[in-house]
Amino acid sequence: MTSQAAIKNAPFDIPSIDLPKPTDSITHYQVQQFLHLDAYLLDHHRLAEWLNILAPDLRYFVPVRQTRERADRDKEFSDTLGHMEDDFDSIAMRVHRLVNTKTAWSEDPASRVRRFVTNVTVWETDVEGEYEVLNYLMLTRNRFYQEDFQIFSAERHDRVRRVGETFELVRREVRMDQSVLGMPNLAIFL
Amino acid sequence: MLTKAKHTLPDGTRIEDLFNLDTREVSLSTMHDPDLYRIEMEKIFTKSWLLVGHESEIPKSGDYVVRDMAEDEVIVTRDRQGDIHVNLNVCPHRGMHVCTAEAGNTQVHKCIYHGWAFRPDGSFVGAPLEKEKMHGEIYPKEKLGLKKAKVELFHGLIFANWDAEAAPLEEQLGEMKFYYDIMFGKTEGGLEVMGPPQRLTIPANWKTAGEQAACDGFHTLTLHRSQFDIGNFGSDGEVTEEFIPIMTGINVADRGNALRCISAAQTFRMLIGKEKFEDLTVEDRLRKLPPPGIVTDQMKEEMFKRLSKDQLYVASMAPPQVGNMFPNINILFIYAPLPDGTLGSGLLMHAINPKGPDKFQWVTWFFAEKDTPDEVKKAMRSAAVQTGGTSGLIEQDDSDTWPHMTDAARGAMGMTETLKYQAIAGEKRPEGWPDKAKVFAGLSKDDAQWTWWLQYHKVMTK
Ligand code: FES
Ligand SMILES: [Fe+2]
Repeated sequence: MTSQAAIKNAPFDIPSIDLPKPTDSITHYQVQQFLHLDAYLLDHHRLAEWLNILAPDLRYFVPVRQTRERADRDKEFSDTLGHMEDDFDSIAMRVHRLVNTKTAWSEDPASRVRRFVTNVTVWETDVEGEYEVLNYLMLTRNRFYQEDFQIFSAERHDRVRRVGETFELVRREVRMDQSVLGMPNLAIFL
Repeated sequence: MLTKAKHTLPDGTRIEDLFNLDTREVSLSTMHDPDLYRIEMEKIFTKSWLLVGHESEIPKSGDYVVRDMAEDEVIVTRDRQGDIHVNLNVCPHRGMHVCTAEAGNTQVHKCIYHGWAFRPDGSFVGAPLEKEKMHGEIYPKEKLGLKKAKVELFHGLIFANWDAEAAPLEEQLGEMKFYYDIMFGKTEGGLEVMGPPQRLTIPANWKTAGEQAACDGFHTLTLHRSQFDIGNFGSDGEVTEEFIPIMTGINVADRGNALRCISAAQTFRMLIGKEKFEDLTVEDRLRKLPPPGIVTDQMKEEMFKRLSKDQLYVASMAPPQVGNMFPNINILFIYAPLPDGTLGSGLLMHAINPKGPDKFQWVTWFFAEKDTPDEVKKAMRSAAVQTGGTSGLIEQDDSDTWPHMTDAARGAMGMTETLKYQAIAGEKRPEGWPDKAKVFAGLSKDDAQWTWWLQYHKVMTK
């Protein structure tokens, strides 16, 4: 039932929502399962296996963010400099250090990390089988004797490519919500 | 208000008592003590030249960035004449931050509270309702500007100092200027930043990172052991003795400023192989193994022209790569082979900004030579981001260590422990090495780091 009598009053013209239509619900579900797999492997230190779901042409970028005036909001994220700037090979080197040496001190003893992934939206792209995936990440990290958690929240702009029954990650851009990172390093993946 | 007895902590401990100069020990309590921290703010951070940025961050008139000098925010601006100013980001009216964004462009910085306005040079424009004299009539307008720091540029790096009586920056750098000129002054174009700096918060005392920066070469062996284990640093990671080449070189130090000059012969062998390094002339060595990003002939010629004979010798034999500037700057200029066999590198600088006795903000700038071709810049940037700063494979181990030391210093017994600098190499200057600063050739021991503490001692007991 709609309310006939009520009228919206706003001091300006309200624009219509300008967002492309997300993909179908089956694809959405599959992509969501893929993101859960990604988080599961990372949370459970199954880093070597995790490499399977990364594409060979992976771009992994965590741009530096600055606090800017509203008018300059398009300049908040650096397009050149990141807290991380990686490709598949450099990610594999990071994983190699973590799993194959006994001296990766920044994660030994390992942090206890949990990745909560929500607000998933999936869009089709010009490339058949590739999807743009927007999702929110809430990550908690606990280390040593600390009673509190280091919290990291961000919006991930992912691109995934269908490979058989599942997907591989082609791009991950992590747009963090802090301009000053609240933990001493990013020795973990986001 | 601060009292006259500045050498003494409230419990009667004198600053001198925190040191044993004979046995080269420093009380671990220094890594946490809140009273000591307050004295540091007064004696060091309001009287030293501090790094706030690079001129390439604010290229145009009206450009500004907001930065920290310890716990004070400052606005770093460029005015219409092109001059750079560093102004306290505190409104003289009632203490509001004047800039709330951290970068932008404006000719008028207007406080959003009551509207007092300031020019990029910090001078007071006026308050709203000009005719009503809302800034009062007690002080003339000239007295109502933002507090200003002294500013000096060093090869484009912007340094600021609150002390109006401060000696020039050159005095603070001492004889180390000779080496810093090699690092920062090789080309006409100079360095430029590759983006805004990374920033993160580390729950640790600023001196944990500060003293390490002054040539702690020894920790490479253990804390950065994984670098050897994964095959970096040109080692197959088999034997401990193999690590020695990377820890060997020439440490140089003066006035708390220290740098590790690491032998080029080792890097040369890794990259170029058989050819005999020792047989080559200084110029040939620099042509074959140029410093990071010096890849065009034009840039090489500039380097030969701008550096002195002695400086070229140093750059060719053992270029300065890792070190500090007193009190709170860390420099990391890495010569590292890229996967394709060419020389990649990181040109990084950190500011270690105290945010209380148990916390500091770590700011990391990434540089390139301005005239380096774009593809090379890009390769250097990703190599640098993967090596240093937030996620760098080397530095992520460092930043995880410092909070432990700070925490350890809190314990009633922990604070009675000492930091020891007793591995002494002694001054040794190899033949042909210029007589600049104190020179400690050989395995990197504690000598240079100890000079950092001696400088700290000197400044804190002044
Ligand atoms: S506090 Fe800035 S104008 Fe009042
Ligand atoms: Fe280190």
